[in-house]
Amino acid sequence: MQTHLELELEQIKIKIFEMADLSIEAIIDSIESLKNADITLANKVIEKDKLIDKLELDIDDECIKFLVTRQPAASDLRFVLAMLKINTDLERIGDLSTNIAKETIKIDGGALLKPLIDIPRMGEISVSMIKQSFDAITEKDVEKAKDVIKMDNELDELNLQIYRELFTYMGESTRHVSQCLSLILVAKALERIGDHIKNIAERSVYYIEGEDIRHKAVNKNMS
Amino acid sequence: MNNKITASDVCFYYGNNQAIKNINLAVEKNSVLALIGPSGCGKSTFLRCINRMNDIIPGTKITGEIKIDDESIYGQNFDVTNLRRRVGMVFQKSNPFPQSIFDNIAYGLKINGIKDKYEIERIVEHSLKSTALWDEVKDRLNKSAMGLSGGQQQRLCIARTIAVQPDVILMDEPASALDPISTQKIEELIQTLKENFTIMIVTHNMQQAARVSDYTAFFYMGELIEVNKTEIIFTKPDKEMTENYITGKFG
Ligand SMILES: Nc1ncnc2c1ncn2[C@@H]1O[C@H](COP(=O)(O)OP(=O)(O)OP(=O)(O)O)[C@@H](O)[C@H]1O
Ligand SMILES: [Mg+2]
Repeated sequence: MQTHLELELEQIKIKIFEMADLSIEAIIDSIESLKNADITLANKVIEKDKLIDKLELDIDDECIKFLVTRQPAASDLRFVLAMLKINTDLERIGDLSTNIAKETIKIDGGALLKPLIDIPRMGEISVSMIKQSFDAITEKDVEKAKDVIKMDNELDELNLQIYRELFTYMGESTRHVSQCLSLILVAKALERIGDHIKNIAERSVYYIEGEDIRHKAVNKNMS
Repeated sequence: MNNKITASDVCFYYGNNQAIKNINLAVEKNSVLALIGPSGCGKSTFLRCINRMNDIIPGTKITGEIKIDDESIYGQNFDVTNLRRRVGMVFQKSNPFPQSIFDNIAYGLKINGIKDKYEIERIVEHSLKSTALWDEVKDRLNKSAMGLSGGQQQRLCIARTIAVQPDVILMDEPASALDPISTQKIEELIQTLKENFTIMIVTHNMQQAARVSDYTAFFYMGELIEVNKTEIIFTKPDKEMTENYITGKFG
């Protein structure tokens, strides 16, 4: 039988996972809206972000209440501290997805320069990074979490590549400047999303084994 | 490391019942060590080994070695009376003598050979100030100690203990019968006292252990399961048993 303490922890966990699902949905929908010039979907992303914001406050309240009333220790303490921070990262991911949706609205149905490939790729990588971070939490698998941190490099590279490509486009013709700028902002938003997921993975490692790996290279291949 | 107390392979028996099993533990000078663990795990027994209080219980036996300042306290020619002065003890239930507040402290000084009246007055005042009791009792030093509140009585017992200038203070659940304000005063006191003393405290209150101690030792069924910096014990203990105990999942 679960104790009340375990039930409260479970509640926090359920809400954080719900928040993770919502942010995955926000990333996917914002990219879809961009790909298909779907302004209705873009507006839906912006609207749904309010849910994420509300959930963030809820989770903060529950974590704080848990800290005050339970005065947790060891893995319980690390769990709540990690969730408090992961909560903030997920909320930021929601915000960044709305930024992407706003660019869709700005482009306003205009034809895209060329079919989008790298941006959706960045979206896919972000989504699988989030999924893997949360698998790591569920399975208490540190290696999985550390792999997520490495995956962030791919996003950084894609962002750079997209930036170079669009920059070249802008040089060739002034007609596309505003769309190019929009797409640069989108790639930048995805790159920032990657940074937040990296934080999430680092905090998962802290929860699982009590080690703070922020600001440390995961292995020698990483700069 | 600068160790005040070192226990090596300490075993303790009440008749045939072994209450303490092969304890190896060192206590750093001027630090606070908290002993935690479920009821009956041997915390009090171990504490009483440090000032040889168990000697007076018939049918008991201790093996292994305990050193204070590199001197083996169970050694052949060891002066036990002097040990009791060097190692003071504070109990769960405050136990002031049914005398005046002043005499409660002066008594121990007189037994320890201090005769000078002014010297005694000076030490009484100093001890009461160290335990933050002076302002509360300075106008009624000649009144009975039994008229003090529980929290004040406990601080008086601590004042009495430190008056004879021990090196080590052992505390067995010193605040378990006190209200939160008195408890806070005792905890404050423990943190100031460690500047001059080495302290071992038994407590069932996990938060209290976390607040007052530098090191925490977890005992279970007479064994020392884990000892480490308090911060580490309460954030990432090594042993699952410790984890379960401090997170309340013991069963
Ligand atoms: N005077 C005694 N005679 C015989 N057995 C004793 C005596 N004192 C303690 N014991 C036994 O030794 C074991 C350890 O007891 P101890 O009092 O040291 O535990 P403790 O950790 O201080 O428990 P608590 O948290 O309840 O104070 C217990 O099994 C207890 O029954
Ligand atoms: Mg006891």
